[in-house]
Amino acid sequence: MTDKEPTDTGQDALNARLEQANKQLLQSEKLAAIGQLAAGVAHEINNPVGYVYSNLQTLENYLNDLFRLTDAIDTAASLEDLRQIRHNIDYNYLREDLKDLLSESREGIERVKTIISAMKDFSHIEEEEFKQADLHRGIETTLNVVNNELKYKAEVVRDFGELPHVECIASQINQVIMNLLVNAAHAIEDFGKITIRTRHQGDSVTLEVEDTGKGIASEHLNRIFEPFFTTKGIGKGTGLGLSLSFNIIKKHNGEIEVHSEPGQGTRFRITLPVTQPEPLQHTQQNQDTENPA
Amino acid sequence: MIRIQLVDDEPNVLNSLRRLLRRQDWQVDAFSDVEEALEALLQHEYAVILSDYKMPMADGVTYLKFAKQKQPGAIRLVLSGHGDSESMVKAINQAEVFRYLTKPWDDHEVVAAISSAVELYSLQKENQRLRKENDAQRAMIKAREEELLRLEADNPGITRVRRDADGSVLLDDDAGSSD
Repeated sequence: MTDKEPTDTGQDALNARLEQANKQLLQSEKLAAIGQLAAGVAHEINNPVGYVYSNLQTLENYLNDLFRLTDAIDTAASLEDLRQIRHNIDYNYLREDLKDLLSESREGIERVKTIISAMKDFSHIEEEEFKQADLHRGIETTLNVVNNELKYKAEVVRDFGELPHVECIASQINQVIMNLLVNAAHAIEDFGKITIRTRHQGDSVTLEVEDTGKGIASEHLNRIFEPFFTTKGIGKGTGLGLSLSFNIIKKHNGEIEVHSEPGQGTRFRITLPVTQPEPLQHTQQNQDTENPA
Repeated sequence: MIRIQLVDDEPNVLNSLRRLLRRQDWQVDAFSDVEEALEALLQHEYAVILSDYKMPMADGVTYLKFAKQKQPGAIRLVLSGHGDSESMVKAINQAEVFRYLTKPWDDHEVVAAISSAVELYSLQKENQRLRKENDAQRAMIKAREEELLRLEADNPGITRVRRDADGSVLLDDDAGSSD
């Protein structure tokens, strides 16, 4: 008994260190993935910033024109002079275009806002505990982050079922969804379709990401969840995405399956339990007090 | 009239560029659909084509390469939100663009770039016109020379007019028969 004690604590310490290393790996994979997305996100932001900025300069010109008219109220000799100025500045066009200019600019700023808040939601580090979460919201957030990777490659189809809130670590599930979506886009050579399907059956939910890409060769199929296995070029993939996704899903007591036909496409299916089974160390605290907002 | 073609998959970008170019004396055709832009190439002659880089279906370089085949005289520009070196190299080497502009853009810079492109286009156009005129005149001169040679061969001496000291034409029957 006395010689068993130290081994136990040694084991615990090792487990704790392994857990810590896993956490770090997960975080660095997430950061690497975001890094790879950064160029795309920059493009996504540069577009609206570009036209909003240009519109503001045009707005300044419009205002100068309008001030020319209002200033002339004091100096103009007759109403006819004012009418002439109004005609010269193309007042009717200005009036009409101002509405469009403002609403388009507002739309641009909204888009930047959405992208930034999605990035923020996505990179949350602190949420490390299981909580009730809306998977559809997570999917939308993730789509906003990877939109630039997808929109030139595929039409995204949302085939959503009715889902209950699912007990999960939302940021980690988002990371899995992002991996699947980016992989799907990479698998498509010209332009294809990516379908995101969600279903609820009994006490579990399924989430599928299906693409019309080139598929996975059968000799690769049993290796895709191995760490560092990648068929992507240097700088395109870490080879960790699917292996970490596998670990995340396992940690959630779920399953991840793949079905692929070379030349036809690939479908990944994730099955998650709606509630985590009771005897788990990470669900011990404040599980019941949680209030799905 | 100088015609400018704008191609970008984002209609709001096109609208703001149209606003920007409104004060210039150009006819601006804007397309958010690459295929429609391609069709327009068959209908109008463009002085300048400004294209986005990243678009669905075809990227800007592919589009401009095609436009270069259809209208080699049009000056090509890229307006990209991407700005990575790979896309720049492709734009320069493959589509032979005149300028590579980046988003977000500076209004003055865009107007200045398009203005220089229009100037270059007009110069090339003028150069072409002058060369054509030159060629036509040369052909005319050549035809005249040939006619003179023919006349000279038929009637030796006919193309040479002899004059005396005060400039009067000398009509001398012996002149042609000697030599």
